[in-house]
Amino acid sequence: MSSFGYLFIKEMKQFFANPFMPVVLILLPLLLMLVVPLAANMEVRDVRLAIVDRDRSDMSVQLIDRISRSGYFVFASYDDTYDKAIHELSKGNADIILEIPAGMEKAVGRGENAEIFIAANAVNSTKGTMGGGYLSSIVSEFSSDLSVQGGQGEGMPLRIVPQYRYNPHLDYRLFMVPALMIVVIILIGGFFPTMSIVSEKENGTIEQINVSPVRKRDFILSKVVFYGLLGIFAFTISILIAHFVYGLASNGGMLEIYVSAMIFLVFMGGFGLVISNYSETLLQAVFLMLFFVLIFMLMSGIFTPVSSMETWSQYVTYILPTRYFVNILRAVCLKGSHFADMSFDFIMLSVFAVFINVFAIVTYKKQN
Amino acid sequence: MDSIVIHSLRKSYGRNLPPAVDLQTDVTVAKGELFGIIGPDGAGKTTLFRMLATLVSPDAGSATLEGLDIVRDYRKVRTIIGYMPGRFSLYSDLSVRENLEFFASVFGKDIESNYGLIENIYCRLKPFEDRKAGKLSGGMKQKLALCCSLIHSPAVLFLDEPTTGVDPSSRRELWENLAQLKEQGMTIVVSTAYMDEADRCDRVAMMKSGRFLTVDSPSRIISGFDKRLLSVRSDEMFRLLNDLRTVSAVDKCYTFGDTHHITLRPGAGISPEDLGRELASEFSHRNVSVREIDATLEDCYMNLEDK
Repeated sequence: MSSFGYLFIKEMKQFFANPFMPVVLILLPLLLMLVVPLAANMEVRDVRLAIVDRDRSDMSVQLIDRISRSGYFVFASYDDTYDKAIHELSKGNADIILEIPAGMEKAVGRGENAEIFIAANAVNSTKGTMGGGYLSSIVSEFSSDLSVQGGQGEGMPLRIVPQYRYNPHLDYRLFMVPALMIVVIILIGGFFPTMSIVSEKENGTIEQINVSPVRKRDFILSKVVFYGLLGIFAFTISILIAHFVYGLASNGGMLEIYVSAMIFLVFMGGFGLVISNYSETLLQAVFLMLFFVLIFMLMSGIFTPVSSMETWSQYVTYILPTRYFVNILRAVCLKGSHFADMSFDFIMLSVFAVFINVFAIVTYKKQN
Repeated sequence: MDSIVIHSLRKSYGRNLPPAVDLQTDVTVAKGELFGIIGPDGAGKTTLFRMLATLVSPDAGSATLEGLDIVRDYRKVRTIIGYMPGRFSLYSDLSVRENLEFFASVFGKDIESNYGLIENIYCRLKPFEDRKAGKLSGGMKQKLALCCSLIHSPAVLFLDEPTTGVDPSSRRELWENLAQLKEQGMTIVVSTAYMDEADRCDRVAMMKSGRFLTVDSPSRIISGFDKRLLSVRSDEMFRLLNDLRTVSAVDKCYTFGDTHHITLRPGAGISPEDLGRELASEFSHRNVSVREIDATLEDCYMNLEDK
């Protein structure tokens, strides 16, 4: 048997010797993919609204009625003055204040403009901005309906009809699921080989390997290949869940997904090697890995879109290979893109994979 | 024929640190010799072993094992040596049998081809074959480690403190095993902190601060001891130690089991009886016994240190 063969078998025996790790391998994608998308939801519902109706007219009642029918809002209070409402807001009982000015109905009847005031609590910025956005769109829709009813065609000549392509209901889950698939692959493909190499360092077993004729190349390759396969296995679980539970990648594109996942696993394997080259203990390695994994997760558009980042940090994302992997997965899962559409991302991902592995081999040799 | 030739090896771990090993001499070990290295902790024994086992490269000097240079031919060297580090370093999550199989296959061998070599040691492990290596007792771990370093039938075997933390009967067994291996023509280099074990070696090197203080057979080291050595006892052993150090004829004084050993200054003509009387009268010690004795290896070692 070749040296790669028995090293690979040894890796397998070690992995299955402890029943804890195989369980983690299966539970990790299962829980992440099934529980997190249900729990983490960026959609804003039940925004608590404090209404200050100083008009008390038919028109104000109609407006409030329309707001309540939208389903996004619950009424927290109904005050006479803005001061009372702001008090509610500061106590945390309300998220948004809607102030209807006195004499609105009359002013509109005369063909004048009436100003409706919206104040949102932006401590929870998503809820504040999204809720404020919903509210203003309801109000503007209401006012355009009024102009049509009043025969004043020039009141609102243009109407915006947004159409959200690829994710028509703006379902946050569809945004989350590809992200979680990446998290699965980062955790399995990044941590497992690193921990395995560093624990051989810690236990001194690497010395026994080093005094034997086994080549370092075979030793490392056996780990990268074995844990790469585990990464593919966990990734397959998450793809199956994404496809059958969330209906993603319905347009095909499995080939694109797997090719990109393999390139990314090669990158993560090489990255783990670099980390283990520079760490003497498991603690050190895990901490170092965690640091980079957090940067990968928070800065490459996995949870927050790159386009909404600060300009300088948008440039930083170009040196994070996760960015390209995220792009590919989202494009395939949501749009059904093909290789040709994503050639830049594939090229960049491959460049990183090659670079990090060359770097890993060079730094490994310096060790001795 | 010389199996190991060491030519003033030197290794330093940091620019500001004194070198861990700085032999400054040439040492050769013959084929089939059982060569012991004794020295206190931090003497540089492990570093020397790691250099010879091609795990660290020397800063200066060179060494050959069976004619192969440890730096240039390190890959070939690795096929002919067995190295058992002082710390247990097998796969503790694999079973006894799996460890042995793995290390045999690492050298491209199978267990059967060299089973004769390890049979005597492995028969004791046989009942625990399926147990995880990490769950073995200390002595069993050492036996397994020895088996794993022997399974490819090495020409040179390095054992770094193989008896540390092992019970006396296992220690004796290990030395018997080494004697058998030696008969089969294997060159064995073993380090130890136990002086009584060093007696079993063909030659020993006494090592301190990275240097070999002396290299010779145990009997010749003992016969080369040129000072008068006395063994002293009394009822108050601790006070006795301090009192002895104030006696002008005493050169060096150290505890040795339940007695104190003292060496006398060259030319001091004091007899054991005189010293006994002096201790009783001037220091009012009771039940004083002073005897002139022959040196052991440990006495030689204690007196070498100051050179």
